[in-house]
Amino acid sequence: MSVAVRQSVIDWLDDNYHFGDAATLIKSDDMSFLDHGVLDSLGFVQLILHLEKSFRIRIDRKDLSRANFDSLGKIVGYVTAHREYQA
Amino acid sequence: VSPAAEVYYRPDAEAIARSQLTDFTRFAEARLGRPLADPLALHRFSVEDFRRFWALFLEWSGLRVEGEAEPVCRGDEVETAAFFPGLRVGYAENLLRARDAAEDARVALVACAEDGSAVRLTRAELRERVARTAAGLRALGLQPGDRVVAIGRNTAESVVACLAATGLGAVWSSTTPDLGTEAMLNRFRQLEPVLLFAHTEYPYQGLRRSVADRVGEVAAALPSLRHFVQLAEGEAPAGLALPIRPLAEIDGPPLDDDAWPRLPFNHPLFILFSSGTTGVPKCIVHGVGGTLLEHVKEHRLHSDFGPADRLYFHTSTGWMMWNWQLTALASGTAIVLYDGSVSHPHDDALWRLVADEGVTVFGTSPAYLQYCRDAGIVPRERVDLGRLRAMQSTGSILFDNHYDWVRENVKPLPLQSISGGTDIIGCFVLGHPNLPVYRGESQSLSLGYDVRALAPADAAAGGAGELVCARPFPSRPLGLFGDPDGRRFHDAYFSQNAGVWTHGDYVEISERGTARILGRSDGVLNVRGIRIGPAEIYHVLQDFPEIAEAMAVEQQAPQEPGGTRLVLLVVLRGGAALDRPLTLRIKKELSRRASSAHVPAVIAQVPELPTTFSNKRSEKAARDVLNGRAATNVGALKNPDCLEVIRTHPALQVEAPPSS
Repeated sequence: MSVAVRQSVIDWLDDNYHFGDAATLIKSDDMSFLDHGVLDSLGFVQLILHLEKSFRIRIDRKDLSRANFDSLGKIVGYVTAHREYQA
Repeated sequence: VSPAAEVYYRPDAEAIARSQLTDFTRFAEARLGRPLADPLALHRFSVEDFRRFWALFLEWSGLRVEGEAEPVCRGDEVETAAFFPGLRVGYAENLLRARDAAEDARVALVACAEDGSAVRLTRAELRERVARTAAGLRALGLQPGDRVVAIGRNTAESVVACLAATGLGAVWSSTTPDLGTEAMLNRFRQLEPVLLFAHTEYPYQGLRRSVADRVGEVAAALPSLRHFVQLAEGEAPAGLALPIRPLAEIDGPPLDDDAWPRLPFNHPLFILFSSGTTGVPKCIVHGVGGTLLEHVKEHRLHSDFGPADRLYFHTSTGWMMWNWQLTALASGTAIVLYDGSVSHPHDDALWRLVADEGVTVFGTSPAYLQYCRDAGIVPRERVDLGRLRAMQSTGSILFDNHYDWVRENVKPLPLQSISGGTDIIGCFVLGHPNLPVYRGESQSLSLGYDVRALAPADAAAGGAGELVCARPFPSRPLGLFGDPDGRRFHDAYFSQNAGVWTHGDYVEISERGTARILGRSDGVLNVRGIRIGPAEIYHVLQDFPEIAEAMAVEQQAPQEPGGTRLVLLVVLRGGAALDRPLTLRIKKELSRRASSAHVPAVIAQVPELPTTFSNKRSEKAARDVLNGRAATNVGALKNPDCLEVIRTHPALQVEAPPSS
């Protein structure tokens, strides 16, 4: 599951922002997306919509915080946990 | 337009009684010696007797002009008519003057940055800064008619530079720092500018991004440049042949009030760019008097802007709304600028700005409202919006659900959908202080503008059709730069329908005078509220040997910000397949050489593009089938079967909007 989420995030970043460079840009699972220009907060909202659609989950907008989403590892963790919970 | 459209907001009697539109109507009635019973009667008068209307408006407005106000308009042809050929007028002079000492002491400009810092200038301070800068520019030899170009952020420096240069009669043209080098040069090179103003950095999510290299490349590729002025601190471009002059050092004893030149009404003021389906971007030249008069009319009569207002219109220097909001200074209104991300350091950064700066009119776009909705931002729960009295929206179509979102999440207020554009540096449809707002509709046609929906000859009776303007109007461009015989100008606006301005939008006009813009009628794309000329996309794709042909089309996509997405259809050479590396390479090149707005949401490989018997690609046919309509010109196509491939292509299917 987490492999699919990870690949989906990277593919989405490539399609919309980094055009093939996303995997190189993200140096580690805990690198902050916001601090390193991987994504801006407008982009985060689009990514959230993409994750909701792709993994058929509903992400509470109150959860949209750095603590939950501001790195690849956090996103994978959040989506995986919520997918299992909602399924 | 459904006659049953729901009333969304109704102004109260007191608001109507004190509106500037009411005051102007009383003034006009007294001069005419007859009543103008209602807003429709006023509009009818303003187009049927447009000369009288503009003469009365000019007098009522109190704008400073000199010379003869007769003739009001020389000529009756929309294409060639000239307004107020006997008048002289100053743009900066009218924006910066104060009616009294109190106005001079009031804040006129607030320039906010995403780090929370702000520059506040009273009208007197702003005038002083502009006058000193103008003196410095004059010492550098800047002359009326010289073109100056700017790569500028939405800051006080950009405003000062613009007003100082245009105050001397120079012609201003600006773009944002994030536009690609090639796209900048395709615009600026045509103008043979003598002076470049530039910011060399811009803020991005708390970081500073340098564009010093880009600025250097642009400067080096403009052989006409005589001066380079750096607008703010930051990395300097390396290897420039010209000296780098900081704006702060462009200085001199402030020009006296009577040292500002007043220019002929039809002297050029701004050059705006519009990219179409072919060729380099058009350089649209707007005049001093037409721009000023039209903006002041839109601001005071349609928007009721006055000295008690603080306007924040979210824009950049690359969009005509920047010029539009700037002119609000001429109505005594203070303008608020913002330089930074709309969502940094907080996801609701703009709403905080509206609250903290006491903004009374907030100008935004459907794409931003959609972002707020998707992010779950409820402004009324987060900030005090007590001073906010109206919102305006433009850039793309404001749908019914946007109205609902604003009412539920902001507050009940007039939400005015305004639309026009670069080509006329103003609006054909907009708000109205005395009329109700109907959900999903613009309240009024622009006063003095004979806006009509030109229905196709074979269409059943109804209010929808091509948006045209059938009588002369003051913000018609003076022409296109570099088009001495006016042929390109004619082809762009007057070749489709004889004798009228054809704008390139579809519009529906109701019997009560309200309007709905339905979308573009030409090949120009509107993606996330930004106008994109396909020609700039094709220009970049020429350098891909794999691509035989390409076509960029706009597709309605309710889930996307702005309600549309950019689709690129490609035909590849020699049996090649569109794989992921090629897809990403296309996107990357478009992002780098044009801008991120030019990157398609979807790229789809097709065996052929719809082509007419005269061997022209038909973007219209592709757009029709991609938007669920039958193509209206199938008979003119030599390969109509390709439309079915496009219609059923798996990558080109759009999800239905959520049922909620």
